[in-house]
Amino acid sequence: MKHASKTKANASGLSRREFVGAAAAVAAFTYVPKRVLGQAGGSSANNKLNIAGIGVGGRGASDIDGVSSENIVALCDVDLKRAAGTFKKHPDAKVYRDFRVMLEKEANNIDAVVIGAPDHIHAPAAIMAMEMGKHVYCEKPMAHTVYEARRMTEVAAETGVVTQMGNQGHAGEGLRLYWEFIHDGAIGTVREVHVWSDRAGTKERPWWPQGIDRPEGSVPVPDGLDWDLWLGPAQWRPFAKFPNGRGGEATYVPFNWRGWWDFGCGALGDMAVHNADPAFFALDLDAPTAVEAETSELKDETLPISNIIRFEFPAKGSRPAVKMTWYDGGNLPERPADLEEGRRMGGNGILFIGDKGKLMGGSHAGVPRLIPETAMKDYGKPPKTLPRSPGHHKEWIDACKAGDPKSAKSGFWYAGPFTEALLVGNLAVRLQKRVEWDAQAMRSPNCPEADNYITKFYRAGYTIM
Amino acid sequence: MNKATRIGKGASQRSARNDSIGTSNHISRRDLVGTLASLAALTIVPRHVLGGAGHTPPSEKLNIAGIGIGGRGQGDLHECNSENIVALCDVDEAYAGKVFDTYPKARKWTDYRKMLDEQRDIDAVIIATPDHTHAVISMAAIKRGKHVYCEKPLAHSIWECRQVAEAAREAGVATQLGNQGQASEENRLVSEFIWDGAIGPVHEVHAWSNRYISPRGIGRPKETPPVPKTLNWDLWLGPAKQRPYHPCYLPFSWRGWWDFGTGVLGDIGCHQLDPVFRALKLGYPTTVEACSSGVNDETAPLSSIVRFQFPARAGMPPLTLSWYDGALMPERPDELEEGRKFGNPDDNLFIGEKGKMLGHRLIPEPKMKAYDRPAKSIPRSPGHHKEWLNACKGGPPARANFDWAGPLTEVVLMGNVALRMEKQLYEKGLKLRMDGPNMRVTNLPEANRYIRDEYRDGWTL
Repeated sequence: MKHASKTKANASGLSRREFVGAAAAVAAFTYVPKRVLGQAGGSSANNKLNIAGIGVGGRGASDIDGVSSENIVALCDVDLKRAAGTFKKHPDAKVYRDFRVMLEKEANNIDAVVIGAPDHIHAPAAIMAMEMGKHVYCEKPMAHTVYEARRMTEVAAETGVVTQMGNQGHAGEGLRLYWEFIHDGAIGTVREVHVWSDRAGTKERPWWPQGIDRPEGSVPVPDGLDWDLWLGPAQWRPFAKFPNGRGGEATYVPFNWRGWWDFGCGALGDMAVHNADPAFFALDLDAPTAVEAETSELKDETLPISNIIRFEFPAKGSRPAVKMTWYDGGNLPERPADLEEGRRMGGNGILFIGDKGKLMGGSHAGVPRLIPETAMKDYGKPPKTLPRSPGHHKEWIDACKAGDPKSAKSGFWYAGPFTEALLVGNLAVRLQKRVEWDAQAMRSPNCPEADNYITKFYRAGYTIM
Repeated sequence: MNKATRIGKGASQRSARNDSIGTSNHISRRDLVGTLASLAALTIVPRHVLGGAGHTPPSEKLNIAGIGIGGRGQGDLHECNSENIVALCDVDEAYAGKVFDTYPKARKWTDYRKMLDEQRDIDAVIIATPDHTHAVISMAAIKRGKHVYCEKPLAHSIWECRQVAEAAREAGVATQLGNQGQASEENRLVSEFIWDGAIGPVHEVHAWSNRYISPRGIGRPKETPPVPKTLNWDLWLGPAKQRPYHPCYLPFSWRGWWDFGTGVLGDIGCHQLDPVFRALKLGYPTTVEACSSGVNDETAPLSSIVRFQFPARAGMPPLTLSWYDGALMPERPDELEEGRKFGNPDDNLFIGEKGKMLGHRLIPEPKMKAYDRPAKSIPRSPGHHKEWLNACKGGPPARANFDWAGPLTEVVLMGNVALRMEKQLYEKGLKLRMDGPNMRVTNLPEANRYIRDEYRDGWTL
């Protein structure tokens, strides 16, 4: 794709910081030409997108696989060992360790980035990329703080780039069925939704540790890992080991960063983006008016082991107010009386309670069923009124090529407010009190101390504007 | 003890047979299951009428023995120090030392069995040992015709609760569970308000305790430090399975260990749920479900939710009782004024068709202020320990006597059975179906292993 004005800015020898600012200033220009020129075909000769990956081990590796129909031109990871498999699959891609360097050096060679790095990297990487006019596919949760989610949504709108959050269930049959059941009146009016996840795991079966303090001391950084770059915007801390909750030890990298406030968003960030998606989509939820949380012991640095978070969403249009309750770390909603004995609720799921029935489904917006099963048998399926998706990654690729942000259905225009609402839940966890929420002002009227967590500290070089 | 003992005993025994769940021809099982209160009331009458068994005249002092005196027992003894404290028994000389010093005239014992065999002047015992020895000690005392005050929970297992309550009824001794909150004004107000229809029929009750009781969510220590010279570890273990001594178990911190304690629910449930059971005339639940931050075979979870379903009872609709601990709480009610603290660290929320009650107060506060309170229909207590002392001297039965405390503790402990089967319930998609009268889980046979503890060789009830 052509980004003449941006390229000029880059070439004029501005510092990165100035550059990012300048890019934002010219964002309007980068958007208009794309639409005007109707660049549905992308920039490469073979009508493929040129994609760069940021964080390409772990989940990022699957995302790169998901977009491998396109040209993978550059790959960036701070952990060379963990990303080695992805590097090997794409031998022609240039390898970087610092996404900032990659974006600057590859500015003219890439159309889009796929971000599979930990949560604390999402916003700095995505905002930088968007302001350079690059389309963004970003793993979930979209952002690490409420402010980041807000800002990413704004930047996506300002730049007009195509975005997609990595909650792949959003492209599935299940999500659409929730909407179709509910809009067909299958369970009547919904005022109550319960959503749960078995993560971060119970004390006996942890996915990753939570409810612990920062370990003392340090251990050597493994070969291949650039710890300073991994920390990115987060305040520096030594690389260290801590109990993994199963009698062994863990380090922050890989995966076990999820429970640390500085890097992750806990089970809510990891799984509510999947499991609560049907509620946001089918009930058209946006910002809550208040959130409260009951949790196990809160430590300074990690999320509590188990949490119940209650969201209050105001009435909207013809729909009444909705209460959504999130359960994690072993907590579960009450088993519905009409759920057949012997039928599992599952480790992850969502339960809509309507005044005429109940609808329940599993993880990742999986296909729902009316309960009890006799109700499902009586009802059959609702009319298929929503268009289906070609697949979550494909949907984004097609949208990038069409230059149409709205046809990526979990674009930041949708995923931003969704993520933001969920992260207000984590404010209540951290403050251990009922947090009233004024979304427009991005403040809590009753908890001024929430300001400390609505946004956060950034190390120099990673500041978000 | 005098001859009245035998007469009283016989009468009590007969009444007990008529009242015992499942054996009556006149009252349907459902009616009986319906309420603990009906059960208690029926058994109370004969003893009261007959003046009870083996009672010390009010003019005389009781001879009381304290068993397990270092911790809570100290407070219980203090409450009863108007009587003669004639014996003190503790397996932990160091922990109990200051209490021995408080009552220099009392004979000191380490083994309650020896004490009960050898010191014949004891009329009544106060038991404040860890949960796992409540039943064996209560039973030994009851069999010797001693009155018993036992700290809560009444016992460590459902089966023990049943045996102890039945034995006490048969022996006709005066009993009281150490849930002293039942003697309060507030406890009575809850019943009086609910019976007055202040919040309409109640379908939902939430009860919680955020009390720290002991380490939980951990495994058994591997170190085997030497047993302190001041501790008889074998006696402390009592009927529990043999294991090496470790300071993580005592004093006090045994509560979180399944072999000795009963978790937060067992510790606080008998306090917290007493007014709920009385006001809502609860009996045995039909189902129990539980989820938690993770249960292991050694310790109770850090946080848990237990949900009991109770059937419709005389004039009252079916009810869900939800228990929360480890900092979990129910949803904050809309009626609660902004800025008002949501109850106490241990509290109850009653949700009725016409209103809500937090603890013993209608919410919001203007509703409470405007409420035309009903007459005080429930007799007030002279004090929890005093109730028992009076009963020992021929007065009316104490209000938390074992006919009340037994079934109450049984239900509380059903919650622990569900917690310990949490994983199986989750995997099999079940709630525990309870056959309370027969002390059985009907839909998950392996759960029944938690109804009754296996005792170590040499120990029986």
